[in-house]
Amino acid sequence: MQRSSPPSSDPSAAKAGPRGPVLELRDLVTRFPGDDGPLSIVDGVSLSVASGETLAVVGESGSGKTMTFLSAIGLIPPPGRVTSGQVLLEGTDLLTHTPEQLRAVRGERISMVFQDPLTGLNPVFTIGEQIVEVLRAHRKLSRAEARKKAIELLERVQIPDPGRRVDDYPHQLSGGMRQRVLIAMAISLDPSVLIADEPTTALDVTVQAQVLELLAELREESGMAMVLITHDLGLVARHADRVAVMYAGRVVEQGSAKAVFEQTAHPYTLSLFRGVPSLDTDTAQDLIEIEGQPPDPAFLPPGCAFEPRCFLGQGRASCQATRPGLQPTLGTEHQTACLHSAELTATRARA
Amino acid sequence: MAGYLGRTLVQLVATLVGIVTVAFFLMRAIPGDPALYMLGDFATEEAVAALRSRLGLDLPVYQQYLVFMERALTGDLGRSVVTGQPALAEMLSALPWSLSLAVAGLAVAVILGVPLGILSAIKQGTWVDMTIMLVALMGISFPVFWVGLVAVLFLSHHAGLFPALGAATGGGFWTQIHHLTLPALVLGLSVAAYIARLTRSAMLEVLGQDYIRVAHAMGVPEPRIFFRLALRNAFIPILAVIGVTFAWALGNAILVEVVFSRPGLGSTVLKAVLARDYQLVQAGVLVLATGVVLINATLNVLYGVIDPRMRSD
Amino acid sequence: MASGEMARDSAIPRQPAGPDDPEAARRRRQAALRRYTRHPGFMVGATIILLLALLAILAPWIAPNSPLKTEMSLVLAEPSWAYPLGTDQFGRCVLSRLIYGAQISLQVGFWVVLISLTCGTLIGALAGFLGGWIERAIVALIDIMLAFPGFLLALALVAAQGSSLTSVITAVSIAYTPRVATVMRSVVLTIRPRPFIEASHAIGLTKLRILLRHVIPNAMPPVIVVATVSAATAILAEAGLSFLGLGVQPPTATWGSVIANGQAVITTRPLISLSAGLSIAVAVIGLNLLGDGLRDTLDPQMRRQTGAKML
Repeated sequence: MQRSSPPSSDPSAAKAGPRGPVLELRDLVTRFPGDDGPLSIVDGVSLSVASGETLAVVGESGSGKTMTFLSAIGLIPPPGRVTSGQVLLEGTDLLTHTPEQLRAVRGERISMVFQDPLTGLNPVFTIGEQIVEVLRAHRKLSRAEARKKAIELLERVQIPDPGRRVDDYPHQLSGGMRQRVLIAMAISLDPSVLIADEPTTALDVTVQAQVLELLAELREESGMAMVLITHDLGLVARHADRVAVMYAGRVVEQGSAKAVFEQTAHPYTLSLFRGVPSLDTDTAQDLIEIEGQPPDPAFLPPGCAFEPRCFLGQGRASCQATRPGLQPTLGTEHQTACLHSAELTATRARA
Repeated sequence: MAGYLGRTLVQLVATLVGIVTVAFFLMRAIPGDPALYMLGDFATEEAVAALRSRLGLDLPVYQQYLVFMERALTGDLGRSVVTGQPALAEMLSALPWSLSLAVAGLAVAVILGVPLGILSAIKQGTWVDMTIMLVALMGISFPVFWVGLVAVLFLSHHAGLFPALGAATGGGFWTQIHHLTLPALVLGLSVAAYIARLTRSAMLEVLGQDYIRVAHAMGVPEPRIFFRLALRNAFIPILAVIGVTFAWALGNAILVEVVFSRPGLGSTVLKAVLARDYQLVQAGVLVLATGVVLINATLNVLYGVIDPRMRSD
Repeated sequence: MASGEMARDSAIPRQPAGPDDPEAARRRRQAALRRYTRHPGFMVGATIILLLALLAILAPWIAPNSPLKTEMSLVLAEPSWAYPLGTDQFGRCVLSRLIYGAQISLQVGFWVVLISLTCGTLIGALAGFLGGWIERAIVALIDIMLAFPGFLLALALVAAQGSSLTSVITAVSIAYTPRVATVMRSVVLTIRPRPFIEASHAIGLTKLRILLRHVIPNAMPPVIVVATVSAATAILAEAGLSFLGLGVQPPTATWGSVIANGQAVITTRPLISLSAGLSIAVAVIGLNLLGDGLRDTLDPQMRRQTGAKML
């Protein structure tokens, strides 16, 4: 399939550093129709990830993490619609692509691995048939060639005895093996970006480690960029180079993993991280429960969306009045969307 | 696969025994005396008593049941009170008429209903979907016998395209087909409406599955997703739908047979009902239920062929 | 794609902010109401059924003539001001018979729903909830009952009991109860593992209490959908029985019998059968629209379970 134009000379793409971003979202807005007009489920999200880099996207369920990336690859479920923004993949805006161009890009240059390996494979086809389906969607290959490639891919994701396994049906494989198969499909055409949406949440703890190991190895080998959507903070600490925290469809804090962990600048992030003190923790730690519910997108407060649950800003007039945007804090790379982040760093300093 | 076939077979036999049992108790559970019912309200007491002993109704219920079951399993469903012929034989002689109507009707229904249901699901929310679903709503809402009458009125009487009678006495193969066409279309269209609606929801369910999203995310083209991947998944619920509608079609074939004055199981049962021919009614109910069970067993085998999870274990 | 995906990340409509917030509760009620009023199918269906119910109840005041009075001088009269749809072979006003016919159809629909729903719900809920051998036995029995074509079963039962409104209602109810029970059981199976049910077990509520207080109320949305669909099926079955002469006996006016009477004269007076058939279709379309609308608004997840098994 045709590769769309080579990386453009877009100045902002160049500015981002020696390894310019492979994938960059700019002010992405995705809306669903609601009872009183459209609801912004993804509300002006800007993110980027460079080759060989892992960006972790963190937040409670419902914060819009998955929706952001489904929007980026044109798989937003109807009646949802991306209403504005840009999705630059190697410099070209995917939102200007026709559906057919977009399809050609998916799987080929940007690929996604989903949460649940048990439901991600089609139960009535062998895993070989399913990998071949992906290969033949993008390359002119004979059946025999495609099958040979499928076996190689299974070997690459470390499935034992791939020559025999290729003819197995999904139900004959364990959860971890199935996730490996899905990863094999996702990397089958050497994409530049791999989006892994909670890839290990549905797996046993021991298997989780192996699958992550595999993803890290594959990233090393191929130099692709990886987006890790997760709520497992142990995982963020060990695997992410950079972190973006999402709340109510917006990015509320982002920066290098080290900065976000050590100089947390948003009360929401801090609430999430409470109990995960340092980067050195080795035990997997889930997001702890924060009191209250994430806001209903139909009834967002007029000010800061986190205000009703915030230990810092609850009931404060300033927080109820304005919705803060992302601002640099302690350095341009580290940004937060909180009016009172200075107090937060001060409190932390005292403690 | 052999184990799966074995299980299906055991299930089939068990269900058949169950059907005979249910038929027996259902008929006994109805208030009133079958003998009195058969002879009418003005029968003499002696006549009723004689018939009761001839039918074995004077025995304790469990003995009646055992006798009934033993006979039923050897193919003896009693004799028609009116003609004195074996009830089963009478029903079996009507079977080809019903079978040809049911098969032709179902063929029409599947050929129309399945593709329209799939189209509707793929085009969900568009005017194509809405039109198909509106027509299907009409299809399930108009009484089938009335559709038959209207079809006869317009296509037979006014347009003269088809004979008003649904069966030809004598005549070659093509004459029979010509007579069968209209009843089969009428039955088929109403079943097609059901199949289209249910196929649509089965297909929508499959299209909402994670593995379909994965296929989209991997850039598999839509036609491949719809017609190769999703279709094989949707086939199982679609087959189940066809199984369910088959039972429904057999029930409604009675009405179609009456409208078109066509012989068959339905009209034989109806005649038996009107003549209070209790044994024959029972035989008819059993034969039709057996037909449904056999169809479902066949579908079960097909599920095994399509879905690898079913045959392994 | 919708439902599966939304369930996952889903920012889309989420559960209420809190049970004690009256403002939120009011907004929820408003939003729910709006979902109904904005569903065209639901509104059309509800209007049709409401109008038919009024027609049936007010029949004595609305009908231009008696549905039973025969007027031999007016046999098969053409439509006129006095007889808007003409008369049948016995000189009875067709329109009046159709208006009174609504009484029978709606009564059958109402009672069959009430009976088959109560029995089917209890049977299905018990099976799904108790599990074990009771469930297996009930499921086996239901499967066997489902092998009997519904209309045929109703026909055989009504034949054995003699034709009256009660026996038509009983027969159709018996024929359709197993269908309701299957739906109910599959519904209960989906809510059985939910946390509040397990919590109730933990605090030692008796099974019956859990069943009545928690399982059945939670299964109501799909059951309401099933109710409308089975009312439609029941009306069609009653019409079929009447058409065959096995329904409520003449001279009572029923839609099915008007069609049957009209059949004899269909080439010369097609209006009789046509109008009666349209009456049935309108009622059934109304109920189906209502059912589809309720399904879309009450309970999107149950789409398939409630649809497939009701034939």
